[in-house]
Amino acid sequence: MAAEFNISELQLKYLELETLLDITNELNSFDQISVLLQEILVKSCGVLNASSGLILIEDDNSDVLHIGADFNIDISVLKGLIFNKRKGIISEINESRKAINIQIEGDSFLSKTQCKYGLIAPLLDKKNLVGVIILFDKESRQGLSPFHEADSNMLSAIATQASVAYNNIKLIENIKEAKTFNDNVMQSIVTGVFTTNLMGEINHINRAATAIINLDKESVIGNHYEYVFESNEFMNQIITKCELENMTIAESQVLLECNGKSTTVNISVSPLLNDSNEPIGSVVAMEDLSNLDKLKSTFKKYVSKQIVDQLLENDDMLNLGGQEQEATILFSDIRGFTSMSETMAPNEVVETLNEYFNLMIEIIFKYNGTLDKIIGDALMVIYGAPNSTEQDTENAVLTAIEMQEKLIEFNQDRIINLQSPIKIGIGINRGKVISGNIGSKQQMNFTVIGDSVNLASRLCSVAAADEIIVSEAVWKKVKPLKLYKAKKLNPVKVKGKVKPIEIKEILYNRPDFQYELAYQKIEQFLIANLPKQYTYHTIDHIRDVVIQSERIAKKEKVDKSVIADIKLAAWLHDVGYIWEPLRHEARGAEYATSILNEMKFPKAKISLITGMIMATKIPQSPKNHFEQIICDADLDYLGRDDYDVNSNYLLKEIHLTKKITHKEWLQLQCNFLKAHTYFTNTTQKLRKNKKNLILLKIQEQLNNK
Amino acid sequence: MSEFITSIKENNSIVIIETNGYLNNVGGEEISAIVYERMAQGQTKFLINMAGTKIVNSIGVSILIEIIEKLQEVNGKIGYYNLAPIVAKTFNIMGLTKYSTVFETEDAGVNEL
Repeated sequence: MAAEFNISELQLKYLELETLLDITNELNSFDQISVLLQEILVKSCGVLNASSGLILIEDDNSDVLHIGADFNIDISVLKGLIFNKRKGIISEINESRKAINIQIEGDSFLSKTQCKYGLIAPLLDKKNLVGVIILFDKESRQGLSPFHEADSNMLSAIATQASVAYNNIKLIENIKEAKTFNDNVMQSIVTGVFTTNLMGEINHINRAATAIINLDKESVIGNHYEYVFESNEFMNQIITKCELENMTIAESQVLLECNGKSTTVNISVSPLLNDSNEPIGSVVAMEDLSNLDKLKSTFKKYVSKQIVDQLLENDDMLNLGGQEQEATILFSDIRGFTSMSETMAPNEVVETLNEYFNLMIEIIFKYNGTLDKIIGDALMVIYGAPNSTEQDTENAVLTAIEMQEKLIEFNQDRIINLQSPIKIGIGINRGKVISGNIGSKQQMNFTVIGDSVNLASRLCSVAAADEIIVSEAVWKKVKPLKLYKAKKLNPVKVKGKVKPIEIKEILYNRPDFQYELAYQKIEQFLIANLPKQYTYHTIDHIRDVVIQSERIAKKEKVDKSVIADIKLAAWLHDVGYIWEPLRHEARGAEYATSILNEMKFPKAKISLITGMIMATKIPQSPKNHFEQIICDADLDYLGRDDYDVNSNYLLKEIHLTKKITHKEWLQLQCNFLKAHTYFTNTTQKLRKNKKNLILLKIQEQLNNK
Repeated sequence: MSEFITSIKENNSIVIIETNGYLNNVGGEEISAIVYERMAQGQTKFLINMAGTKIVNSIGVSILIEIIEKLQEVNGKIGYYNLAPIVAKTFNIMGLTKYSTVFETEDAGVNEL
């Protein structure tokens, strides 16, 4: 009976083979080295009846091994020991590359384990020793014994399999590490980078690129680049070209519009190649130029784009120091601004100045001027420094003329809004100046100094409102161009000069009255100021009168230039409601007279316009054809399908001041319609019949009351 | 109680021994000591809960075989439950399952022994 229970050699061999098979099958399922080593060790101990075991594994970049796994052993006794590949038993294994049976006594570190017997096998990466597996004290029913030759072979077999698995995991870890490293590098660089695979799908993207694209990583990865750059045809073209031609393509200053964000970028697209030099996708680098743009835009508040570009390209220009050169200097100053600002609130003063400076500086930069200083309400502008051109003086004159012209438009808005117009005087001089960066290294300003600068300032003081005063030096430069007219003025004595200075006033044509701009500004003024409680005298009514007056005027074959005036009167005919509803026609005419005079509108036309406004007073009393047109336009709705809508608005507005009964209202309409007459043939033809029908209807209603 | 034998209890006159760790020479001897002690007290049925034992060697198995031999002399029985797959496989290869039973759960073992 007992013989049945003996474990046969065959069974043991079977167990060994099964264990080896298990190890082989399972080893590749581990993805962590520590778990793998522990599993190998435990199974090795089990199958070879070892009482305990250790695996020592390599430290990266050194010849020292550390404990990678332990089983059934007190490793505290090994604490502090150095397991050197080049010493003792490990060195022997390193040389022999095969499992060795040992008596532990005498070995420097193994003896610390208190074990008697050991079996050590190498873990190898190709021919390099990466670790050792050590089993201690083979168990038997008679006690502990040395390991057998067969055990060595078995452990060697296990170690070989373990080495393969270890090296695979190590390889994967290295790949992951390299990927993490690459990802970290990718994420840390400020250039936006993404890669695509052969299918055109984006498979990597860094943080900078997601910021440019304005999408998170998850929304980009796995999508085709054409989908991601759906609204950026040019970007798609570049990548496609790179894919087709297998060559690097670079484009600068490309505006990318991605998910509501616009970014200017420099783009470089290169093919991604594998080890065999075959394309496996593309890598796209995008250099975000926003910061450079921000720098430029900050800079451009002070100097023109041209000079910003020169400064960015040429560091030497930023050196402190100066040079003598010819330059043209323009000074401008607001006339009477001090007294004007005394009547304004502080925020209004700042707002006005900012609006004015924005307008002026745009013109200055248009003609490549360098804004040197803003002194209160005055501007100092340099032309020809740091870099001079033949056009410097002409550019200064062109700047001055355009400043005066633009100011007329600017003032049109202010006048309509009952604000004081801004008037400026401009002085321009040309001569030798010392130019350079003046100041400290922390803060330097590019400027020009010298007598010529002072004279330009004096000429500005001499200039009256709307005038451009230039020195002879300036006139000599621009006169030969035969494009400019000047008036000789009496020489002036200026501070610091012994002799009176010859001066000229540059003449410029006052731009024609900007009707369309005026309509627009008056409309804005009405929208902002018409009393909101009115339901009839609203901006909609005024817009309607403008439309009808233009239509009637055209039908009545009125001259185009007069149609513009009729429209102006239409825009202004109810403006008086802002201040005095009861005498709004008279108040509107006063307002029109005031603003049009200020705008230098021809006097004759002003009376034409005020006449038209006054003619709309009920009962209408037109004295000429134009007044008839505006009167018909004002009451055009009396013969239209929308009569009921408009009359209801009027009734609501009447109710603001007095309550009337429905019957009274019907009577009021009846009386008004009976008394009313259309004056122009155009309106009589178009509206009279309908108006009569409306009257009949109202009379019917009255009779039924 | 040792590190290897973590608990001993009785359920329906069956001694249930819970192990933890390597079932080798040492572990096997500890089990046999408990079994022989309880046999001396007249108990003949034993269940080993091997949830904490993930590895076993042939010496441990041979000690279990010795225990089975002893139990057969008194018509006793031993069974195991909560076996790790590798342990179950080893028991099978070593022929242990011919003379003793592996159960899924403690209740199954208690009911069948």
